[in-house]
Amino acid sequence: MSQPLLKVRQAKKVYAMGDEQVWALKGVDLDIHQGEFVAIMGSSGSGKSTMMNLLGCLDIASEGSIAFAGQELSSLSKNELASVRNQRIGFVFQQFNLLPRTSALDNVTLPLLYSKVPESDWHKRATQCLENVGLGSRMGHHPGQLSGGQQQRVAIARALINDPLMILADEPTGALDTQTGLEVMALFQALNQQGKTIILVTHEPDIAQFAKRKLTFRDGELISDEQNSNVRQAALEGKA
Amino acid sequence: MKIVILLKTAITALKVNVLRSCLTMLGIIIGVAAVIIMVAMGAGAQQKVDDQIKSLGGNVFFVTGAFRQSGGARSASVVKINEDDANLIEKQVPGVEAAAPYLSASGQVIYGNLNWSTEIDGIDNRYFVVRNWDMANGREFTSAEINRGSKVAIIGERLRSELFGASDPIGQTVRVTNFNVTIIGVLAAKGQDARGEDQDDVIFLPIKTVRNKITGVSATNPKSVRFIQVSAYDGEDMDYIEDEMSRLLRQRMRIPVGGDDMFRIRNVSEMIATRAETIQVFNTLLAWVASVSLVVGGIGIMNIMLVSVTERTREIGLRMAVGAKPSDILYQFLIESIVLCGLGGFIGVMIAYGFVFMGNQYDIGAGGIIETQVVLLSLGFSGLIGVFFGYYPALKASRLAPIDALRYE
Ligand SMILES: Nc1ncnc2c1ncn2[C@@H]1O[C@H](COP(=O)(O)OP(=O)(O)OP(=O)(O)O)[C@@H](O)[C@H]1O
Ligand SMILES: [Mg+2]
Repeated sequence: MSQPLLKVRQAKKVYAMGDEQVWALKGVDLDIHQGEFVAIMGSSGSGKSTMMNLLGCLDIASEGSIAFAGQELSSLSKNELASVRNQRIGFVFQQFNLLPRTSALDNVTLPLLYSKVPESDWHKRATQCLENVGLGSRMGHHPGQLSGGQQQRVAIARALINDPLMILADEPTGALDTQTGLEVMALFQALNQQGKTIILVTHEPDIAQFAKRKLTFRDGELISDEQNSNVRQAALEGKA
Repeated sequence: MKIVILLKTAITALKVNVLRSCLTMLGIIIGVAAVIIMVAMGAGAQQKVDDQIKSLGGNVFFVTGAFRQSGGARSASVVKINEDDANLIEKQVPGVEAAAPYLSASGQVIYGNLNWSTEIDGIDNRYFVVRNWDMANGREFTSAEINRGSKVAIIGERLRSELFGASDPIGQTVRVTNFNVTIIGVLAAKGQDARGEDQDDVIFLPIKTVRNKITGVSATNPKSVRFIQVSAYDGEDMDYIEDEMSRLLRQRMRIPVGGDDMFRIRNVSEMIATRAETIQVFNTLLAWVASVSLVVGGIGIMNIMLVSVTERTREIGLRMAVGAKPSDILYQFLIESIVLCGLGGFIGVMIAYGFVFMGNQYDIGAGGIIETQVVLLSLGFSGLIGVFFGYYPALKASRLAPIDALRYE
């Protein structure tokens, strides 16, 4: 098999809470390959978000190693990590995290500000991404003028703008109702079909059923790693 | 990241809280306006002084007689200096361009049915040299006219316009107090003197004419003058000339070593310059006080920038998550603070211009001159304040860890 996109070895993360130390991750081993669709499950406080933050270069492991596309993350500088986040990773958050009072178009353009993409291409690219998530007619709207599902789709468009290798989504459907959640999942499945690696954290077993592979965390440890033999198709269910 | 985008981002951020941005700028606005106004007023005062010195005719001394000292008590009699003193100074003191005797009186000048009360001065042509005063029309006195005390006159521009209006005064006869004189020349306009009096409101006669016809001839000092005005060539050592004149006059008046002078020499340009310096010092002081308010304004900027960084921690986190480097965040907040200060500075400059314009228009107090370099300097300085006081908050923002910023509640 080819080299994994993500290669995690004995990753540990410790938080200092005053004198006390909280081990949010207690040594995780994990390989994720290009094109996978992974759901991370587990109870609250089990270390799912911590894992995602490490995979997304938002935080660094206290111990152990994480290699992304063959590159050891702990050896990268802040600027290099920023560039990895900019070029190769797209983030989708539970609370959307869009800039208020800023149009959908400008929100989607944001990552380009920090990229080397020439300014003349920005508009075309952002428009394209918004159209891909079905928001071609809402480009001038501010987040306050969009529904939750629409806001999350703007966030997904933003995550896609630099054509990343993988998309990390921490409870992307957590703030959405079932129907809009399904729409978002359909979008992810479509993106996965196009070859994007997708890793999402979710509480809901239903949502995890849309992924091809399920990881379960408990108390900072990866306790189960299984392929989903019965992948649900969100696009079909959404229509039904 | 492109500067235009940084500027756009900064303006968008500042527009979110317009009132707060304006209040924050207020310190800078007031500081910049005050500094420019103070400096402008100083420059205005300086300009006025320069004009006065120029209208005086450059490096000029006034030599007058002084009270005779007799046994500690001042006697009433004044030692008059005279025309011979003037001639001597001019001949013997090196560096002296001209020494002009001067006698003054005042009275009515009548032409037809117009009469005008003015200054009547007795002089010779050297006076025009000392004062650097050109003829607009006609001619100067001839030596024959000076020696004889002829009834001829040269008039100032103001008197000309009052009596003659549009008609040609040359060759006309006017009555001065109780005798007629013929006008032979008109002087170029000179404007106000150091005390704000119109120097063009004057009629000049040969000194002998004034003495014989108006002031009277003193028995003890028949060639008496009111004062001698002495001009030095440019670049001459004024102190040296003053010493030389003093030495010459003491010798001539036979004042023993240690005895009091019976004359006074005043370096007029210096007197005016000294007064100007006082005004300058005062204005400079005010400008410094004003720049303190600029610094206080800067602290206000820093305060608000710190608040802004805290308020926008999540935004910073998001920007970092999508690829902003620490330096991108640093520049973003630095530019914001510079825009805040620069805009404040710009408004301050506008206010200063308005204030000085109104001041000049309605002549309240001293007029002002706004020099471009002062404006550029204050704009540059307020930008610098933006950098200086914005740097720490911006640095603080750029040092946030992406995940902490993103999670910040
Ligand atoms: N910044 C932090 N400082 C201290 N402790 C932290 C911090 N972040 C996470 N933790 C701790 O690490 C553990 C794992 O947290 P994490 O956020 O990864 O959980 P999670 O699985 O995402 O939970 P949830 O489903 O509620 O989001 C928890 O015990 C939490 O208290
Ligand atoms: Mg979590």
